[in-house]
Amino acid sequence: MSTYKTSSKIWKAVKGFFGFWKDFLVGDSPVLALGAVIILAVAYLLRSSAVLAPAVAVVLVLVLITFTVWQKTWKRRRLRP
Amino acid sequence: MIDQSTVLLFITVALASAVEATEALTILLAAGITRGWRSTFEGALLAIACLALIVLAVGTALIRYVPLYALRTVVGILLLIFGLQWLTKAILRQTGFKAAHDEHDIYDKEVAALSKEAGIRGRRDSLAFAVSFKGVLLEGMEVVMIVISFGLATKSGNQLETATLGAFLGVAVMTAAAAVIAKPLARVPENYMKLGVGDLLTTFGLFWMGEGVGVQWPLGDAFLPVLLAIIFLTTVGLIAYFRRVHKREMEAAA
Repeated sequence: MSTYKTSSKIWKAVKGFFGFWKDFLVGDSPVLALGAVIILAVAYLLRSSAVLAPAVAVVLVLVLITFTVWQKTWKRRRLRP
Repeated sequence: MIDQSTVLLFITVALASAVEATEALTILLAAGITRGWRSTFEGALLAIACLALIVLAVGTALIRYVPLYALRTVVGILLLIFGLQWLTKAILRQTGFKAAHDEHDIYDKEVAALSKEAGIRGRRDSLAFAVSFKGVLLEGMEVVMIVISFGLATKSGNQLETATLGAFLGVAVMTAAAAVIAKPLARVPENYMKLGVGDLLTTFGLFWMGEGVGVQWPLGDAFLPVLLAIIFLTTVGLIAYFRRVHKREMEAAA
């Protein structure tokens, strides 16, 4: 019984720890976190091109900001009666 | 000679800390006024000590054991995510699609919740202590991440002191303001500050993440203000556009 209680406490603590970091990093915008990872991957793949890599990285960030704001406003507009 | 990126770094950390301090101070004021100041201060001080320890321990370990390019990649992506989160929320608030952060409302809710609990037992109030400790620790964690990130990812590899000083300045200014008016800091233009910090975090995040993976920015460090201007102008454009959309919808609904 006590072993069960201890393991359940550990499990709760582990879940709490990862939940905290998930909230901290992803929050209510998984698209932003995913988008940032995609930008990282694209920048890494294009790193040898001195012109393309910075240009594409900047454009992708601007697209990500615009898309996220549009998506959130669209969701809110849809929920409106 | 202080270079341009150090000044930007200092301003970013000071502004980010000021924003987080506004939120933490609202909780502290509510706890202090309803439950007494002694335990509230004790909780806040313990949280600040914990945050300082985290900066020291994590900062020192990272400098010693992690190569700069790896640090910049990780720090860059973290800052980019933080920056984008702050920026999009601030844009939504600025356009009217999301309610503005209301310190008075948060303060009233905290006061109501704290007043419901049983009165103070003995000289120490564990509830005030716990509320202020948790409030300062949670709001401070984001500042700690920013201090560590900015402190370690610069070209010299260690600007932890500059970043820490920036954080202290931001918190000190807000604390002094809260002490003078002894009310929630509702008049602080929090959303404008969040917009500014969001722009700065996104700029630094993208720049360092790029450097970490080997992107060669045109003009080197001098590209930072250019990048900041591009992101800032996009933000202004988005606010203007979505504000019009919101206004049109409000008029159609009326």
